Amino acid sequence: MKNTLGMLFQRGKCTLRWVWEHRLRVAVLALVLVMLEPRQVKSQILNPCCAVLAAGLITISSTLSNVVGGGLNSILAVDRAILNFEQTVVWPLAQISQAQALVGRTQGIFASVQNLTRIPVNSATLPGPQQLERNLLSADSNQIGLTSASYSAVYGPVPDVTAASQDVRNRVDMADAAAQAAMKRAIAIDNLADLEIQAANQINQSLQMAAPGSAPIIEAQADAWLVRANAYTQAAIADLMRVRAIDLADAGADIKSGATNTTNLGQQLINLLKRQ
Amino acid sequence: MTFVFFVIFSWFVVKAKTRRQVLALALVGTTAAVLVAPQRVQAQSTLVQAIQAVLSVINGIIHAALSAINSVRAANNNFYRNVVWPTQLINQARALVTQMINQYRNLMWGIFRINVSSATLRPTQQLELVMRDQQTSNFGVLTTNYGNAYGPLPTPTAASPADRAMTDMDDALALDNLKTLKETDQAGALTLQAADQLESGASQAAPGSAPFLTASAVVASIQSQAVTQKMLAAELRQEAARLAHESALRKRSATYTGQVANQIINLLKHN
Repeated sequence: MKNTLGMLFQRGKCTLRWVWEHRLRVAVLALVLVMLEPRQVKSQILNPCCAVLAAGLITISSTLSNVVGGGLNSILAVDRAILNFEQTVVWPLAQISQAQALVGRTQGIFASVQNLTRIPVNSATLPGPQQLERNLLSADSNQIGLTSASYSAVYGPVPDVTAASQDVRNRVDMADAAAQAAMKRAIAIDNLADLEIQAANQINQSLQMAAPGSAPIIEAQADAWLVRANAYTQAAIADLMRVRAIDLADAGADIKSGATNTTNLGQQLINLLKRQ
Repeated sequence: MTFVFFVIFSWFVVKAKTRRQVLALALVGTTAAVLVAPQRVQAQSTLVQAIQAVLSVINGIIHAALSAINSVRAANNNFYRNVVWPTQLINQARALVTQMINQYRNLMWGIFRINVSSATLRPTQQLELVMRDQQTSNFGVLTTNYGNAYGPLPTPTAASPADRAMTDMDDALALDNLKTLKETDQAGALTLQAADQLESGASQAAPGSAPFLTASAVVASIQSQAVTQKMLAAELRQEAARLAHESALRKRSATYTGQVANQIINLLKHN
């Protein structure tokens, strides 16, 4: 124990001697050590700077709550009112579903109409008329090319040059042409009407799956189809008018040729009596 | 970092051999310590100014922007309620639809259902009845009644093949059209039913559900137009057949006239 204490005393003495001998270096180290000493931390409670910061933050928080929060709440209230108005008055889901269901029911009604138009109405009993009738009721525009042959089989061809006067042949040919054209147009119109019904069904189906915002687009398409349908109806009426015009022209021509024939007959009788 | 710097610096100081080296190290060390030392805390007055600046932004720009947004949204809400979709006018429109349904529907239905049958004899009464019954399941009865009123097709011994063919065609097209009319009469009744449903739907519709009804009404118009076209096509066939019939008579008349003229000439020659 005594030896250990003696050893420690000796070492301390050596250290102090070394420090004294290198006092400049020790002073430099001490200076730099002091300069690198950690700074003091400010107290959160007693420091006046923190108190100012806390008061500032509380004011900012209060201002945010009142100004920003209050403003946002006002906007939210208005938005809620708009949402409620739109959901209950403008686009109520119940009424939208009801309208979609009604569209479905309307489609059901027109499916029945479509079935009605498909019921066969053919009535001819002889082979020639049956063939013409089949062609006329086909609603298939690909069969229009067969109409003229079937027509001639029932109503006969235009008389040849030796069988009738040129005047009669002209009138017969014109009447046949108008009649055949009307029959061909009738086939085409039937075909178009079937396609319109088909398109209308497609539009109705898409309408049942539409949203209130997309329904007007479908309506615009339906409007376009309606305009087209009106044009086809007008075409049918035009052909009807043509047939009637030719019919009227025929009636007029009958009177004209009657007058001519009467004059000719009178002249021939006079000539005959003169010979006798 | 500071500790590592101090250890390295101490090592250099201990190992320095001359007083000049020690002084140089002291100069370098103190300069480095000054440069590395953290900045002083800002003054209190700068902090207050910063907080006031933040408050000024909140009370100024943000408050003004939120007020403006709120004004626009409120105006939008007001515009929707008073100009675009005023509830009072929506209810008024629905009430008008209901009022018009009550005013017109039964009245028009009654007018449409007035019996216009006018035949007086039994066969024609039967034909008229079946022609107007809007049924599509009794076409056979129609054909029978038509035959009773207009007579059957002449037998091969009673008429020429041309006459028989033309008569058969005339009867066929007349019957076709009568059958088509029975179909379209029924289709017309269904179309009226669809119109009634759409109108009733309109009396309960909302502005957002009305486009469905409008579009459906347009689709119904297309289908109705298609039925009209089918009727016009039938009318065209009938008118065409009438013209063809007259034309065929003219052909035959021309043939007969030629034959009679020849016979008269032959007769005169014999005399």
